[in-house]
Amino acid sequence: MSDETFMGVPRERIPWYPTIDYSKCDFCMECDKFCPHQVYARREGEVKLVVAHPTNCVVFCRACAKTCGPDALSFPNKPETIELIKRLREEGDDG
Amino acid sequence: MAERFAVLPCNGLDKAVGPLAREIALMVVEACQGELICPVLYNNLPAHYAKALELPLIVVDGCGTRCASKLATEHDLKVRRKLQATDAFKEMGESRGEGLTPDPERLALCRLLAERLLSAPDEGTALGSEAAFAEPVEYATVTHDKFIFRIPMKGYLFDENHCWAHIAGNRARVGIADYMQQELGDLTFCELPQIGAEVEQFGEIGSVESVKAVSDIISPVSGRVVAANAAVVEAPEIINEDPYVKGWVAEVELRDLASDRDLLLDGEAYLALVRQKAAEYRP
Repeated sequence: MSDETFMGVPRERIPWYPTIDYSKCDFCMECDKFCPHQVYARREGEVKLVVAHPTNCVVFCRACAKTCGPDALSFPNKPETIELIKRLREEGDDG
Repeated sequence: MAERFAVLPCNGLDKAVGPLAREIALMVVEACQGELICPVLYNNLPAHYAKALELPLIVVDGCGTRCASKLATEHDLKVRRKLQATDAFKEMGESRGEGLTPDPERLALCRLLAERLLSAPDEGTALGSEAAFAEPVEYATVTHDKFIFRIPMKGYLFDENHCWAHIAGNRARVGIADYMQQELGDLTFCELPQIGAEVEQFGEIGSVESVKAVSDIISPVSGRVVAANAAVVEAPEIINEDPYVKGWVAEVELRDLASDRDLLLDGEAYLALVRQKAAEYRP
């Protein structure tokens, strides 16, 4: 759904989604089992899990990270994301 | 003589943070001459700890799965204070280490956290300002199939994570919207913020868990947590039944409402958002 917006900003312009640290991830798939928005997807091969649909991720939600035993999931800095959203909103107003 | 506590720790022996939770628990028990509850034995034989659990309870979770907290909830235990080791180490900007045996530096940090726990305020004990939030609430509704979503039209501000702030003077109560509680389904667990904690706008101010999912509660407003609703910890279904009034989660002393407001929706704007969401709603 490319026409999704969050706080008036096109969703794809907000870089909010998890990053998997593959040096820590043990592919237990708890995050994928947990996330109801299909942000993650499983793959064959060495890397068994990827962030397949980053814009499905609910902006400001970090709940999947709490299911991660090895602490392999990270999210962007929240205050910086809020500042970015404010900037993009102002740009939107100007345009 | 310090107050004595029973301490229920995480049993995560296979992760670096589990033994840290265990050390913190041992240090608290030692310092207050308290009682240690083994989560495994308690799970199998709760009667063994009946006497120990007459003491006020501290729960020490290791990681975000909060097994110890959940065990306490399953057994209807009243939690007086709690700590989650992963978050506590993050807040201090410290690594929780890698191995299963804590090093001396980690142990020193555990000692600090144990001391803090013993002097911390109790969970959800500060009373909210009942009178300030007692005005009757009028709702608009959005109907989709058999689902009816309620939206309070006056005095409430919303964020797009379906959390609300009910404003009264320089305070606000925060909770989750009707749409979110229906999306989650029957709630089984609610975690409150620590009284006195500073929360940023869109920061986490607790979490709710249902049979289907877990969700953070995202605070629409910035400020200091002055009260938390212990009733919804004991009976999370209150949030399902009355999400906007009795189901409040935390009360916040507002820091900068004028600025927070720029990024929030009023009742009218949130009603439009729910209309749009309801059209594609599939529970």
